Amino acid sequence: MNLDLTAEEQAFRDEASTWLAENLPTEERPPEGAEMRAFDLAWQRTLFDGGWAGINWPVEYGGRGLSDIQQMIWYEEFAKADPPFTLNNSCTFVGNNHGGPTLILKGSDEQKAEHLPKILKGEAVWCQGFSEPGAGSDLASLNTKAVVDGDELVVTGQKTWTSYAHVADLQELLVRTDSDAPKHKGISWVICDMRSPGIEVREIETMSHVTDFCEVFYDEVRIPLTNVVGEINDGWRVAMSTLSFERGTAFMADQVELAATVERLIAEARERTSADGRRPAIEDEDIAKRLSMARAEVTALRAMTIAGISRTARTGIPGPEGSMIRLFHGELHQRIYRLAMDIVGAEALRLTPVDGEGVWTGPYLQSFAYTIGGGTTDIQRNIVGERVLGLPRQ
Amino acid sequence: MDLLPTEEQLEIIGTVKAQLESDFSLNDLAERDGRDQVIDDTLWQRCAELGWFALGIPEEDGGVGYSLVEEALLFEEVGAHATPGPFLATILAAHVAADCGESELLGQILSGERRVALAEPEDGNQYRLTDHGGADLALAISGSRAAILDLAGVEITPELSLDPLVPLGTASIDSDPLCAVDDPSISLRASVLVAAELAGIARATAEQSTEYGKDREQFGRPVGSFQALKHRCADMAVRADAAVNLTRLAALSVVAGHDDAEFQSEAARVLATQAALENTTWNVQNHGGIGFTWEHTAHRYVTRAQFRARTAGTPRDHRAALLGASAT
Ligand SMILES: Cc1cc2nc3c(=O)[nH]c(=O)nc-3n(C[C@H](O)[C@H](O)[C@H](O)COP(=O)(O)OP(=O)(O)OC[C@H]3O[C@@H](n4cnc5c(N)ncnc54)[C@H](O)[C@@H]3O)c2cc1C
Repeated sequence: MNLDLTAEEQAFRDEASTWLAENLPTEERPPEGAEMRAFDLAWQRTLFDGGWAGINWPVEYGGRGLSDIQQMIWYEEFAKADPPFTLNNSCTFVGNNHGGPTLILKGSDEQKAEHLPKILKGEAVWCQGFSEPGAGSDLASLNTKAVVDGDELVVTGQKTWTSYAHVADLQELLVRTDSDAPKHKGISWVICDMRSPGIEVREIETMSHVTDFCEVFYDEVRIPLTNVVGEINDGWRVAMSTLSFERGTAFMADQVELAATVERLIAEARERTSADGRRPAIEDEDIAKRLSMARAEVTALRAMTIAGISRTARTGIPGPEGSMIRLFHGELHQRIYRLAMDIVGAEALRLTPVDGEGVWTGPYLQSFAYTIGGGTTDIQRNIVGERVLGLPRQ
Repeated sequence: MDLLPTEEQLEIIGTVKAQLESDFSLNDLAERDGRDQVIDDTLWQRCAELGWFALGIPEEDGGVGYSLVEEALLFEEVGAHATPGPFLATILAAHVAADCGESELLGQILSGERRVALAEPEDGNQYRLTDHGGADLALAISGSRAAILDLAGVEITPELSLDPLVPLGTASIDSDPLCAVDDPSISLRASVLVAAELAGIARATAEQSTEYGKDREQFGRPVGSFQALKHRCADMAVRADAAVNLTRLAALSVVAGHDDAEFQSEAARVLATQAALENTTWNVQNHGGIGFTWEHTAHRYVTRAQFRARTAGTPRDHRAALLGASAT
């Protein structure tokens, strides 16, 4: 047990903070469409050129081969640099945080060589085609069919809630390749080219006005069998790896940023007037109590993140304990933005974008997603109860 | 950077656990409910011989030479077993005596020969005393000031205690302290150790509920298969994990002398208090009728958590301290 940074880690921290001071974009992120995609990819390319993409990815695929601790240090330095946008609020999220890591673990040599460098260099946008209208929490009941025809799969069906599908090049797609097998045994994980004929993407507006949510329709879409990751019909196991990254490490940047958010909120509470108009908001008993708890909780979140990294350093892949952090983080994120609504006074009724400087109401609306996406909090509680604590299934 | 215990630390935890299970069984201790001295001298001296009071005292002062980190691991187990006894007052007093260069007094505390009660200042020279039975010394802390007081000739008015294994009384103490320091590291140590004890309580009650959920059957299956109970157990486990990891982080940052040590310690104290109060409450509920009995240990954790939440500062004091602390 120690908090020491090695000389190399300390040097890495200094290098990160120096680089960020010189290279962090000052302009805000365009909220939608082709401009947004171009911005996200350009930033990814800047990161790659600076040596900040794939910090903990193997060197042979363009990563730096460093530790998860260094990855976390990078997120901390990024949050400290007072960036005009949120790191994970990007169409590069899926590729960087679970598509790429799944390929590193389960992909063939050709798949890795083909796709991993492009993710890091900002040359390909990935999206995640797991959820369907009839298969959300019960993901394994998914219905999108794939039939083998020669050396191709022919896919027909529908996915939904697919973030960034409208700007994506590739997709981690779950399909049913054997309808007769038990539901977990007939699924395959395939790399789908989003430009294939037969794919139609429709955008869905969200409660936070973010427009990157989509539904995707597949009408006899042909995908080469060489795009299957892992074995055909063994896709559930591959998907479990994807989800272990999505629940284990993907939100590390958000978790780190949340601590900075609480500090900004405390500064706001010192400057703004309390609801009774007679004192600074921070002297309001209710506000002070909630802010203090929020500070304690984001600090605990960091401790849990470091403990998670310490565990993964011993096992290689995030375990089900990741769901404990994800659960804690999702609800905390929501509590903090709800608290913000009580601190910002009249501004609570003025809509802002979800991202940018000094915005609170947009992120408040967006915070509702944190207890749904990547598995709802109910599902995370089931996982903690059954897979971490060993309680019997219902 | 690593937040999991080393092999050596796991060994310390294992030894402490084994000892607490054999010597401090709550069912055996229940016979001593309401006494003003719960831990007899033999048992207290055995703890001394195991080096528990001396863990964080430097070797040149007659200690074991570990640090606050190992003391916090001990306290996590003390909390997890709802262990009674003046552990906090003893260990803090040992540090005060060491700081003052009172080596004879230090030796007597470390050997368990002289016992130290906890004296919480109430009003002027009025103190709330706990664990006073058999103690001729008391440790008083207030902010960064810590003092060892002489209890000889002090008249203690016993009170009925919420926790029958934490003897409670009041006294006025006028005499000059035997030794005193003005040193913020004592109050930081107190915050971390109380946080560790509360984190241990949160952890043990999460485990107790989970075990019961596996054993107890209703409607023909284990009650832990019901989602209502399963989800409560999951929430308890998350609270405990947050409290345990944050407390360890805080202990490490104090030992490393980081600028944010106070911030981390207060955060740990605030979070662990909340975790312990929540988990002990749900733990009674999760056990149904048996959880409401005197015989079951669930209530022991409830009252201990209420005590520790108000030991060396109230929840309100610590929330205010956390909001005022510098985050960097
Ligand atoms: C912002 C956002 C982005 C997303 N991005 C993607 C993406 O890119 N790709 C993708 O594939 N998916 C994505 N999703 C989908 C997400 O994974 C699903 O919404 C989620 O898994 C829940 O499924 P559902 O919407 O069908 O809800 P349902 O499963 O229908 O759940 C409805 C309610 O029932 C509860 N419930 C369901 N089953 C149980 C149970 N066993 N026990 C207790 N309660 C239960 C749920 O907790 C919930 O409250 C995204 C979702 C959001 C909000």
